[in-house]
Amino acid sequence: MPPVDFAIPQLLALLPMALLPLLRRRRDSLPFPWIGWLPRDPVGRLLHLTWQLIAMLTLGFIILGLAMPGRSETRIERIGRGAEISILMDRSSSMDATIRRNAPKLGEQAQPSQSKNDAVRKTLSWLLDQRPQNRFALTLFNTAPIRVAPFSDDVALVQAGLNASDIGRGSNETNMGLGLMAAIDGFNGRSYTGSRAILLVSDGGARLDDDLRLRIQRGLKRNRISLYFIYIQSSPNSPNLELVGTDADASLEEVALHVFFANLDSEYRVFQADDPESMAAAIVEIDQLQNLPLTYYERVPRVDYSRACFIAALSCCIFLAGLTATRLERLA
Amino acid sequence: MTAGMHEFLYKIPGITDGYRPGAHRSRSRGAGMAFAGHARLFDYPDPRRIDLHASLSSLHGEWLVRTSQQRSAVVIKVVVDVSASMHFGASTSKLEVVADFLLALGYSAHRAGDSVGLMAFDHEFREDLYMPARSGRGIGNAMAATVRASTAGNAPGSLQGLSECIDRIAGSGGLVFLVSDFHYSLDGLATVLDKLGDLLVVPLVVWDKAEIEPPAEGGLLSVRDAESGRIRRLWLRDELQRQWRDKVARRRDELGALFAASDMRSFYIEGGFDAEALSKYFLEHVV
Repeated sequence: MPPVDFAIPQLLALLPMALLPLLRRRRDSLPFPWIGWLPRDPVGRLLHLTWQLIAMLTLGFIILGLAMPGRSETRIERIGRGAEISILMDRSSSMDATIRRNAPKLGEQAQPSQSKNDAVRKTLSWLLDQRPQNRFALTLFNTAPIRVAPFSDDVALVQAGLNASDIGRGSNETNMGLGLMAAIDGFNGRSYTGSRAILLVSDGGARLDDDLRLRIQRGLKRNRISLYFIYIQSSPNSPNLELVGTDADASLEEVALHVFFANLDSEYRVFQADDPESMAAAIVEIDQLQNLPLTYYERVPRVDYSRACFIAALSCCIFLAGLTATRLERLA
Repeated sequence: MTAGMHEFLYKIPGITDGYRPGAHRSRSRGAGMAFAGHARLFDYPDPRRIDLHASLSSLHGEWLVRTSQQRSAVVIKVVVDVSASMHFGASTSKLEVVADFLLALGYSAHRAGDSVGLMAFDHEFREDLYMPARSGRGIGNAMAATVRASTAGNAPGSLQGLSECIDRIAGSGGLVFLVSDFHYSLDGLATVLDKLGDLLVVPLVVWDKAEIEPPAEGGLLSVRDAESGRIRRLWLRDELQRQWRDKVARRRDELGALFAASDMRSFYIEGGFDAEALSKYFLEHVV
């Protein structure tokens, strides 16, 4: 832990002002003709000393707070274990649409309507809960990739990013190729310590040109990344990719993408988002790959203590106000 | 409120030495109702007062006239403490109360034909507030104005100041009002009072309600002595209020004993000046 330092140390020069309550002011006492009539009172003296002490503390805390004490930004060493999973999530406007479902059969409850984004977030939250020791990164994409969270074992960070994706509406355009490249580049320069996976979450396919296909293929291979495609069916008419083979007709975008992925050298699996069993299977599969302990550094932002100082000063003020309220302002 | 409403009656025991006609019994001969004796017409050439019966029985066969004793005026001196503690007062300062008293005294003395002089002291005799004895209608107002205009300062009252005043009036006859709160050491007061043996001395002890009665509600009380500047802080509670009252009562006893030893009786002014009470004081205690 680094020592406490001050953002504006010059203000500490004001600290002697904390001695001000030691000065006596005429206003603080009532004139009296003959003090010999008043008994000596140790309780009164003690209360006055307390008042002085608390008033000095108040001023001291305020000046300290203004000088903004804190522990500077630092890096702490962490040891992680488990797979590195980069979540690449589609945040285009189509994800805000609700999932169309089959009409309920006779005697069956209608399934609740749910937007695709909600369904995905639910699934991914479940995933995060299941594997807290894995390291996750989160990248959103529509027209351009948005790096939300870098690799970290701080699940809360990723969860917060995930929750934030619920806000607003996405763009119409979807550029999956750039998103994929961003996710792949996220692994660049990291030592290989555990199985690596990209969790691509999307509701549709994309046509990728040959150049991009080559780059994706090379990237996945170079960084030894397995690709997991979590496919969200927009309606009962969407193709069930789990059942589609590698030689299917590629006129549909989803199917074309699936076929491209399936023909890559890298590990590839496709899952339906509304199927928890298949998700669980995916996790187990990721887990079975090798797990090495990983030492990495996490940046800890500057911790500011000025707020604590001000709270302390405020509580001192409340005490002083209480003491002052009991003070007699006039005789008789 | 007019000055007349504040008038009080006073009298002086025994026979005074004044020569100005006034209201008090005196040794001076002159116009008066009390028979003093017979004198030769040659010495008192006032044929209206020839006493035939006395002349006939005179051994020397002289004409005798009746002489009577004249009632005389006396000189009243007021010695006022104007130290910082006398400027204290919760609603009105004690010196304001003293000014009320001086107004009433001026009026009463004018009615009796007496003259009044003012002397003030704090830690020494205050030359600037001195008013020699004179008689007249406005003397009370002049004295009250002088006392009211005295500056507060923080001069402590002391026996030394009182002693300097008393040295100036000792030996003369008449009536002396000692107006003070006696908030100073009383050691040696008896010696000082002894110098006034041949005067009628009325010690007026002026205290404010706020100083003799502790505030009803408890709480944190921080007070500063008006003279020494010392500060005392109290957490006012029943116990302290009792001690406070005890100390006031003890001071009262102490003063009472001191004055009684010098054959004086103090008159307490607590809060406002009550002229009627002062009249009663003279009626009951001055024989």
